[in-house]
Amino acid sequence: MFKDLDPILHSQLRLAVMSLLISVKEAEFTFLKEKTNATAGNLSVQIQKLKEAGYIDVVKQFKDNYPQTICKITPTGVKAFDVYVKNLQTYLAK
Amino acid sequence: MNEENFDPKQSLLLIESMINRAKDKFAEDGSMYLLWGWVVFVCSLTQFVLMHFFKYPYHYIVWFASWIVVIYQVVYIRKKIKQRRVRTYTGYILGYVWLTFVIVIFLLAFLIGRLTEGDYYNHISPILLTIYGIPIFLSGIILRFKPLVIGGIGCWILAIAAMLIGNYDYQFLLIPLAMIIAWIIPGYLLRAKYKLQSQ
Repeated sequence: MFKDLDPILHSQLRLAVMSLLISVKEAEFTFLKEKTNATAGNLSVQIQKLKEAGYIDVVKQFKDNYPQTICKITPTGVKAFDVYVKNLQTYLAK
Repeated sequence: MNEENFDPKQSLLLIESMINRAKDKFAEDGSMYLLWGWVVFVCSLTQFVLMHFFKYPYHYIVWFASWIVVIYQVVYIRKKIKQRRVRTYTGYILGYVWLTFVIVIFLLAFLIGRLTEGDYYNHISPILLTIYGIPIFLSGIILRFKPLVIGGIGCWILAIAAMLIGNYDYQFLLIPLAMIIAWIIPGYLLRAKYKLQSQ
């Protein structure tokens, strides 16, 4: 139906993550989890997909002996997001 | 959140709500403005009293107290960074505005004696007031918080006033005044705003 829309972005949780990351410099996994109300398992899977597409950078590190995952949007991700929003607008204008 | 297909209208609504959610916290509680505002206020006023009424030659000694505050601040910032789960562009830019300010103040401390050939007493107050205004004004613009913008402009007006006053001792009194209008009052207003949104 919406075949012009980027399938990576046209999924609720992935789009939510990208929208959050486009507004900030970088965010922790826990922040994304809280804002999207997603489960940790589902969120991990979607973040992995975004990472594989090259839309986000994921850095895993340790903070006070606890693992910490920091996500950040890449220039490719910004571009894809921009194109996605433009395509949405053309659909809505129809 | 489900993964089924959703229409473009829902997509736009989702994007909008997420962008708002990322921004909905006003993260500045004003504590650093208040801390430094009061420290500089007390130190500069004490220095004025020592200098003007007691003619004490080492009046600048009161500023050593600020080193304790610097140590406290380093500990405080480290703690904040540890607790931080998201890094916004606003916070990132503000951090560099204040870093620039600290560098300029330290550079000035080293350079001013040389540049003015020992006559720095008559120039220091207007110069300090001009520099104090910069991070305050920029913070006000970045945070979209008017009291800070007004405070920054206030510092610059006081810098002109200092130049007109001429007398070093009285010029010096404008520094605690600048602290009240540019740091302390906006600091309390920031804190009130922060508390209001955390309720």
